Amino acid sequence: MQLPVNDSYGQSSEHFQQVQNNNSLQQEQQDPLPSSQQDTHVTHIPEPSPSDHQKPLKFHSSVQQFTSLEASKQRMSKLQIPTNPRITQNLGVVISNGPKGALPDSSKPQKPAYISIRGKSSINKVSSDDIADATLQPGMFPPSLRAYVERALALCKDDAQKAVCQDYLKEIITQASCDGSLFSKDWDIEPLYALSSMLAKGISKQVAASVKLDSVSTRRVKSRWEPVGEKLEDIKDSIDADSSKTEVLEGSKGQEFAVSPKKWEKQETTWINQQQHHITSTKPSKRGGQKIKKPDPGTGGVGTSSESDTDLDQGGFHLGSLLTTETPEEKRKRQTRTKRFERSKEYSGPKGSTKPKLQGNASSRRASAIRLVMSVGDVNGQAVEDINWDSLTIRGTCQEIEKRYLRLTSAPDPSTVRPEDVLRKALAMVQSTPKNYLYKCEQLKSIRQDLTVQRIRNEFTVQVYETHARMALEAGDLAEYNQCQAQLKGLYSEGISGSYNEFTAYSLLYMVFQNVNNRDLLSSMARLSHAARQDEAVRHALAVRSAVATGNYTSFFRLYRTAPKMSSFLMDLHVERMRFEAVKCMSRSYRPTLPLSFMARTLGFSSLSLVNGLDEKESDGLEDCEEWLKTHGAQVVYESSTNELMLETKMSAATLFMPEPEDVVPHGDANLAVNDFLTRS
Amino acid sequence: MWAREREEREREMALDRRDSVSSAPWRGNAAGSLFFAAAEASRKLAEYVNSVIEALSTQNGRTLASLLAISSPNSFCELVASALELAKEPIKILKQVDKHAPLGDMLSNHTKCMHSYHQRRYVEAFNALEKSANMFLQEFRSWESAWAMEALHTIVYELRTLAQMADREMVANGKIPDKLKGAGSFLMKVFGALAGKGPKRVGALYVTCQLFKVYFKLGTVHLCRSVIRSIETARVFDFEEFPARDRVTYMYYTGRLEVFNDNFMGAEKKLMYALRHCHSSKRTNVRMILKYLVPVKLSLGTLPKEWLLQKYNLREYLNVVRALRRGDIKLLRHALHANEDGFLRSGVYLVLEKLEQQVYRRLMKKIHIIQKLKDPARAHQIKMEVIVKALSWLDISMDVEEVECIMAILIHKNYIKGYFSHKSKVVVLSKQDPFPKLNGRANIL
Repeated sequence: MQLPVNDSYGQSSEHFQQVQNNNSLQQEQQDPLPSSQQDTHVTHIPEPSPSDHQKPLKFHSSVQQFTSLEASKQRMSKLQIPTNPRITQNLGVVISNGPKGALPDSSKPQKPAYISIRGKSSINKVSSDDIADATLQPGMFPPSLRAYVERALALCKDDAQKAVCQDYLKEIITQASCDGSLFSKDWDIEPLYALSSMLAKGISKQVAASVKLDSVSTRRVKSRWEPVGEKLEDIKDSIDADSSKTEVLEGSKGQEFAVSPKKWEKQETTWINQQQHHITSTKPSKRGGQKIKKPDPGTGGVGTSSESDTDLDQGGFHLGSLLTTETPEEKRKRQTRTKRFERSKEYSGPKGSTKPKLQGNASSRRASAIRLVMSVGDVNGQAVEDINWDSLTIRGTCQEIEKRYLRLTSAPDPSTVRPEDVLRKALAMVQSTPKNYLYKCEQLKSIRQDLTVQRIRNEFTVQVYETHARMALEAGDLAEYNQCQAQLKGLYSEGISGSYNEFTAYSLLYMVFQNVNNRDLLSSMARLSHAARQDEAVRHALAVRSAVATGNYTSFFRLYRTAPKMSSFLMDLHVERMRFEAVKCMSRSYRPTLPLSFMARTLGFSSLSLVNGLDEKESDGLEDCEEWLKTHGAQVVYESSTNELMLETKMSAATLFMPEPEDVVPHGDANLAVNDFLTRS
Repeated sequence: MWAREREEREREMALDRRDSVSSAPWRGNAAGSLFFAAAEASRKLAEYVNSVIEALSTQNGRTLASLLAISSPNSFCELVASALELAKEPIKILKQVDKHAPLGDMLSNHTKCMHSYHQRRYVEAFNALEKSANMFLQEFRSWESAWAMEALHTIVYELRTLAQMADREMVANGKIPDKLKGAGSFLMKVFGALAGKGPKRVGALYVTCQLFKVYFKLGTVHLCRSVIRSIETARVFDFEEFPARDRVTYMYYTGRLEVFNDNFMGAEKKLMYALRHCHSSKRTNVRMILKYLVPVKLSLGTLPKEWLLQKYNLREYLNVVRALRRGDIKLLRHALHANEDGFLRSGVYLVLEKLEQQVYRRLMKKIHIIQKLKDPARAHQIKMEVIVKALSWLDISMDVEEVECIMAILIHKNYIKGYFSHKSKVVVLSKQDPFPKLNGRANIL
């Protein structure tokens, strides 16, 4: 696959950016560079290795960082000749991300991975394969690691990929054993996706754009979703929350480095290769740069901007850029974007000083993960399902039982998400609280949200949705009920147990009353198992359906009175219509009159008054019935001979009408009327 | 690009074949016979390609259709599949078609599909056929006349059946089946190419019917509506000009749709059309039509003769009809329960369920006749207790209130003319025509 020249230039420009960033860092910090090291780097040209770029994130050794800077500086001057104007443009663009840039390391050629590892700074990085081999002995690994390796290899599509993958895994393991995280690390959640994407071909094309996130260039819109070869843990090490965004960008850059060399090799563009070697040989240490920066945490965005200024000057000038893209305006925009994750920090403000940092990192890591996933999905043509989502799932740390529901507008933050045990307490609290439905609904929604973002789908999830569905039914909140029902359908179909029959009955009733088309009703009836048909609630629901279908009001209101569980709340939906149909039918078929006492009994008014709190004393519901009939245009007369109110059927037949519901509210749900909101607190 | 890959693959396959052949001990002159086999295969393939070219150049749609058929028993599938495995440069041979029409790629995809089909790799076969079909459709659009209609229909048919097989394969492999859906959207494209004015419109109904089959299978019958509208509103083309085969299928499916919509009059009309035009020798088709027509007719008040149900093996309706004749509520319930699954699946359950009211009506009619024999003057007054007793003889225990409700509904829905006196618990039947003919009115109310 040949890439257009421009693309390759675009890529190479990334390197330039990288280089420049280093440069800027160096300049800012005024670090002396041993020139001898530069020389070695320039002369020493190892094999280009895609994986190396990841390294910076993993291994931070300050000395090397500086050497790399120096080296890159040198390289820059060398590389000026064969550039494309675009390069300069890109250069300008990325500058602000500078200091934390992922620098490639050369020490491990042929390891084309950019997955970073959680490992803390392994300063004495021993990259020799001896150690790798030593650590690779069977029996020395935790089972989770073995599983991880198997997963990784399973993703490989052919032997070549497998070989690459093996090399990479070896490196990871070596690394882990060096910094002692081999047994402490949770391999089960270690990401594989980066690996797989690395293995697949053709990344670099889109990748080149990633750095242009902030650039004016519209050449590649996709850049937003560029892969980020970075893991959260690495970001955690970053200086402060403000910079986390930059970190992400860097990460993506790092990945580009990681992937691009393949192409370059193919193209045999020597200068690119050279540059590559330089970069790879600059065994980086972002860590070093950061460390120096750390004492000055206040800099944040300002620091970066000043850097970018210098970078701009350098880059633009040195390379003779024709396209000046880095306007002050653009820089400002970029800074605000860089800082946008700070907002979440404010949210969790009082939680203490450590939190903001965590927060920013969490958001960015999530964002980066998503971006990675997106890019993996469409760049490599890899199905989204193949991505190991488990590694992206967050685990909540919030311990508060009560939580207000806010619709998420950004990536969830673990510090505000409650883990399952806390959620269980929260559910128990909701179930026992004397507060009104609106409070319960909100609490349940926030529980559902926390379950969703943590991808908890088990019996407890079912329990939460069932609880909410029942409460919604009780309160007549159909919208919420419907959501829960839909979720429950999915959960049950995954084989998670719950009150399956009960909710099957509810959904049948719901379908009947919502007048869904016959076909849907038929298919859901056909799906009922024989066991389900024996269930009391389901049998009841089927009987109700039949009564509605044939218009048998007597049987309907009998079933209404004997409805199991929450079914009667659903039947409430249909009572009005059923009564109206029934009275219409009665007034057509009965002559000359019909006693109201009979009607009140047949049409379920008597049981209604029971609900109204008259408890043991069963009321005949006559008044309710009379009022109902009058509001629906029926003619009620007093029969003196029997001392009874009678429905005058012949006259009523002509005057019956269905009144507009009185409690209609614009949003369609009377339960959510303004008064409720006001009475809430 | 692809062609080259394929060529290589073919060569590899041929090599594999060679190995296996030469290792066979009973093959004396292995190399020689292999050469012979390859040459023979090439010759066969060339022959096939030549027939395609000839069909194209003479615009012989029928021959082309038979050449492109895959699943029919005497298709060229096996021949092509084995020839592809052995022939040396099948692509070169296939490319010859390009001189006559740019269908070389289409044919290579098509033969690939035949090959995969022959090896029972249906998903692969479907994917290849989809490509081939798209290329063919593109060409078909550019042809002025509709000579290749038969070939297009063959492709459409094969695509749909293959999609179903591919979906089954995907389900077996634990994947989510989506091929039939893909076939549906391709058929929609074909329909678009045919539905306009002009000579090609005659083929549109066939594609419509195939689309119905897809949509009914997928359970997305609401998608039928747009196609139906396009067929029924077009004034330029008389429905009767479509081939009878397609008209029958079309009416069968639209009749079923009307059943779902509870429009029994419309359903009856369409299903009757289908029945009348369906060739009587096609017993399975007649049976399929009757399966829906019988319940529709029943709910409109027409009962079939038992021999009809026997002849077409529609025994599930026997007891339903008997119950309607006798006014035997219990038998009806029993019949419904016994065949519940089947009725639910075919979608007639809700129709049959409503027959209950007709059975009650029949019962009332019988009581009325008996009363007339006994006491003609008071026959039009049927006491509640009589009805309850009659029901209890049928093993149906219902209290007075329930029966009252049913009587009220019968009167309300015009199954019975008359009124009900709550005070004296008597159904008073109208003296004139107490049991009016149903004529489809029954379900309108």
